[in-house]
Amino acid sequence: MKRLKTVADLEKLRAEAVAQRNAKDWLEVCTGSGCLACGAEAVADALDGEIEKRGLGHKVGVRRTGCHGFCEGAPLVVIHPSDTCYTKVQPKHAAPIIDGLGAGEGPVRDLLYLDEGTGERIERLQDIPFYRHQERVLLGDNVRIDSSSILDYIAVGGYGALAKALSEMTPESVLHEVKKANLRGRGGGGFPAGRKWETTRNAPGEPKYVIVNADEGDPGAFMDGSLLQGNPHSVLEGLILGAYAIGAAEGFIYVRQEYPLARKSIEIAIEQAREYGLLGRNILGSGFSFDVVIHRGAGAFVSGESSALMSAIEGRVGEPRPKYVHTSEKGLWGKPSCLNNVETWATVPHIIDKGADWFRGMGTEGSKGTKIFSLVGKVKNTGLVEVSMGIPLRDIIFKIGGGVPDGKSFKAVQTGGPSGGVIPAALLDLPVDFDELTKAGSMMGSGGMIVMDENTCMVDTARYYTSFLAHESCGKCVPCREGIRQMLAILDNIAAGKGREGDLEILEELAEFMQVASLCALGQSAPNPVASTLKYFREEYEEHIRHGRCRAGICTALIAYEIDQEKCQACGACQRNCPVDAIDKSEAGVFTIVHEKCIKCGACLKACPAKFGAVVKVPAGAVLRKSAEEIGLAGTSR
Amino acid sequence: MNSRRMTVIGPEASPPLDVLIIDDDAASAEACRRILEEDGYRVAVAGDGEQGLRMAEADNPSVVLLDPEIAGVAGFEALGRLAEAASATVPVVMTGKGTVDSAVESMRLGAHDYLAKPVNPERLLESVRRGVELGRLRRRAHAPRMKQDLLLQALALLEEAYSLGMGKRTLLEELAGLETEAKRHAQSLGRTWDKGRAIAEIREDLLQADAIMRSYGFRKNALIQTLLDVQEKFHWLPRHILEWISGRLDVPLREIYGIVHFYEAFSLEPRGRHSFQVCTGTACHVRGSSELLSRVSAALGLQPGQTDSRLTYTLETVHCLGCCALAPVIQIDSDYYRDPDRSRLDKIIKTMQREEAQA
Ligand SMILES: Cc1cc2nc3c(=O)[nH]c(=O)nc-3n(C[C@H](O)[C@H](O)[C@H](O)COP(=O)(O)O)c2cc1C
Repeated sequence: MKRLKTVADLEKLRAEAVAQRNAKDWLEVCTGSGCLACGAEAVADALDGEIEKRGLGHKVGVRRTGCHGFCEGAPLVVIHPSDTCYTKVQPKHAAPIIDGLGAGEGPVRDLLYLDEGTGERIERLQDIPFYRHQERVLLGDNVRIDSSSILDYIAVGGYGALAKALSEMTPESVLHEVKKANLRGRGGGGFPAGRKWETTRNAPGEPKYVIVNADEGDPGAFMDGSLLQGNPHSVLEGLILGAYAIGAAEGFIYVRQEYPLARKSIEIAIEQAREYGLLGRNILGSGFSFDVVIHRGAGAFVSGESSALMSAIEGRVGEPRPKYVHTSEKGLWGKPSCLNNVETWATVPHIIDKGADWFRGMGTEGSKGTKIFSLVGKVKNTGLVEVSMGIPLRDIIFKIGGGVPDGKSFKAVQTGGPSGGVIPAALLDLPVDFDELTKAGSMMGSGGMIVMDENTCMVDTARYYTSFLAHESCGKCVPCREGIRQMLAILDNIAAGKGREGDLEILEELAEFMQVASLCALGQSAPNPVASTLKYFREEYEEHIRHGRCRAGICTALIAYEIDQEKCQACGACQRNCPVDAIDKSEAGVFTIVHEKCIKCGACLKACPAKFGAVVKVPAGAVLRKSAEEIGLAGTSR
Repeated sequence: MNSRRMTVIGPEASPPLDVLIIDDDAASAEACRRILEEDGYRVAVAGDGEQGLRMAEADNPSVVLLDPEIAGVAGFEALGRLAEAASATVPVVMTGKGTVDSAVESMRLGAHDYLAKPVNPERLLESVRRGVELGRLRRRAHAPRMKQDLLLQALALLEEAYSLGMGKRTLLEELAGLETEAKRHAQSLGRTWDKGRAIAEIREDLLQADAIMRSYGFRKNALIQTLLDVQEKFHWLPRHILEWISGRLDVPLREIYGIVHFYEAFSLEPRGRHSFQVCTGTACHVRGSSELLSRVSAALGLQPGQTDSRLTYTLETVHCLGCCALAPVIQIDSDYYRDPDRSRLDKIIKTMQREEAQA
């Protein structure tokens, strides 16, 4: 009989799970999306095969875990209990890894992380700079558990907070603890979770609902998906605690369609929790009953907004509605409904377990605890990082992220996704918390952090987000629909070298108007990418408009590719790789680019061997001038 | 009429055989089979006359394609016996010895058409199409008892319709409507028009849609989840299924289309068997996904969102694949590639083409 009827049952099960876990060495293979894409499954299979071949099954096990975070080192394997961290592991490494276990031949040196600064190999996970500067409250367990095993979660202390709440605390005291912790929502707005819970709890109307927002629509962010995939029970436990505090009997988990792995993982978790009596009727004999339903999203950014998300759960088009009444009072089917982000819910068990004071010990005055960021773009160590609130941006990007690769210089970092903005190098010492980021013209958002270098164009960045938003605006209110479209038209012109004086002023006016007049936060925050790039990088816009120049070499209309004849070794790689046959070879064997045919895909630049470096990007104007010279119009400007 | 043939009406019957090829030249038989199967016919091959006659009797194919020069039971004899059997089967002769005599002899013995080898695919398809149609007419005439059985079934249906207060006209209109949908559907997939098959297919589709709706208890508020499952199963949302769902769940079609247009996940066009998904998430964008996209687009000859006419490839962009460390990344079917160059892409596409040709 699996069903746990009392807290004592749970503790007994925990003791067994811990004993089982301690009986073996474990090879913890990261099977997060990044590692899977790099072949982690084959690595895990090879390790399994090697263990079986040597008959070591009773001493060593393979555990397929969620995302460890250090995606740059994918595929990753961590040894438990020694915490040896192997990077870029391939199936052929299975045998040496197993040779190196315990009192064997010691760790496989070549697979250990190489610190480029000191030239030393680092063995233990927690000593690698990427991990050393983090505070991995939520993500830490991702390394240690197989998400399809509730026993793994229980072994690391899982459902202990729930047991504590149900046996020792009233719903009021759970609510009080979360309020006291001053936990702010991790999904974007940073609204205090405790206050939202209280509103729903006190709002008239039954039944009440609790909902997990796992829509994660921000492109370039994968924290919520990784948490849900790697540690689904932590989200579930948080949700059950919330339901207990609020007085809800039913919950929903809204999962982004593009995350099949996360969905599978939470499906299995729910099933297991039901089997063990941690969901369903009379949980742990407390008399409290609660159950959960999964709802898949269908791919629409705006559906992550609270009122839109709720109408999608009701089976209707996921459009926002005006919020003169909050969803926390009148949400799903008009009933009080409390929506929180994945990370918000997953933080709750830690607060209940270790107490509000512990939580308040981390972070800044206004932002307590830790926050997970997805650190991506032009940064050496791409991955998921969890840090104490208030850590300077510089530490995240340089100490943890290892700075900008290829000797390029840092230009800006974008936070907050399509609703956020860019932060320039001058503000690198900014402490990262909700209020400081907002003050700088960006926002915390859900935690996307995209690093940009000198080769990133700020006009293009603004245009990228604006075109994303033009696609995602639901079209219900005019300021958002038309405003974004006009902004995009102007940005398209500027990027095409057709910008006019006065364009920037129109952009600013539009931005101001949309911020006040749009129906939901999508429209209200849509101008942020434009406004913040204008604020910090106005001169780049002006260069595009006045001189038709894109200094980053990104806006295709303003650049051209050329072959530097001095450097060209006539190997023909460019010609072979050109998808549109735009490279000519003369009888004398000289390769040239036919600009009329060129689609500027960059295939030639990529194909040209780095040691030659003969294909170069040049301003489009240079090509125009050159062809003018060729037909005898030297001196005429364009 | 034996009882085996009766089972043709029932829903569980294995589908009837369209064409039986009797030819001892395996290569030629295989070539014909491929051409016909590509057009959706169900085909069997017999290597000699005796086996052929046995199969013809057992499976009652609509058309028999026969080479009279085969070994074993002499081909012309087989042809004669086939024609004499007074079954609905339509014999068609194909031969490498295209003499006037053999043609005359074939026709005299009851061949419906005469094809010269090597067979021209278009001639073959045309001849088989006409043969199948004729076979169906003949079969109907040959099957008086089958007709009575059908009528009984129809009466039962009518009885039920009347008892539910539905008039005969409404019933017929609904059926005609579904048939029109079946025809449109077959056309949209570029298939040759075969009424019986189109109806069978559409019926199968609707049964699957029902199974999906049933798994959600036919709840209206599970509409989006239902549509997602249909999308997953069929890789697109065919119109006849949307109309069916609209009727079943009593949701206006316009509302369904509203939802379908709103969400990225849905497609109103058939998608290719292979998918190329270029990630355009922010991490990929700053690391050059637009250059990758134009490279892939040029390699496939497709714009994002397009599928080629043979439904082999679909090129799409996605907002984020969640493996930003590989940026810029493309997912091709279930594999991920970090910024593949032109030759890599060409290799992948070539492999797919080879597999398609073999299949
Ligand atoms: C256009 C738009 C998209 C949003 N997308 C998400 C999302 O993908 N995930 C999320 O957690 N919150 C998203 N939000 C924020 C939610 O509306 C809501 O504030 C949040 O889920 C509440 O949870 P929290 O308080 O725990 O952050 C979005 C908001 C807007 C306006």
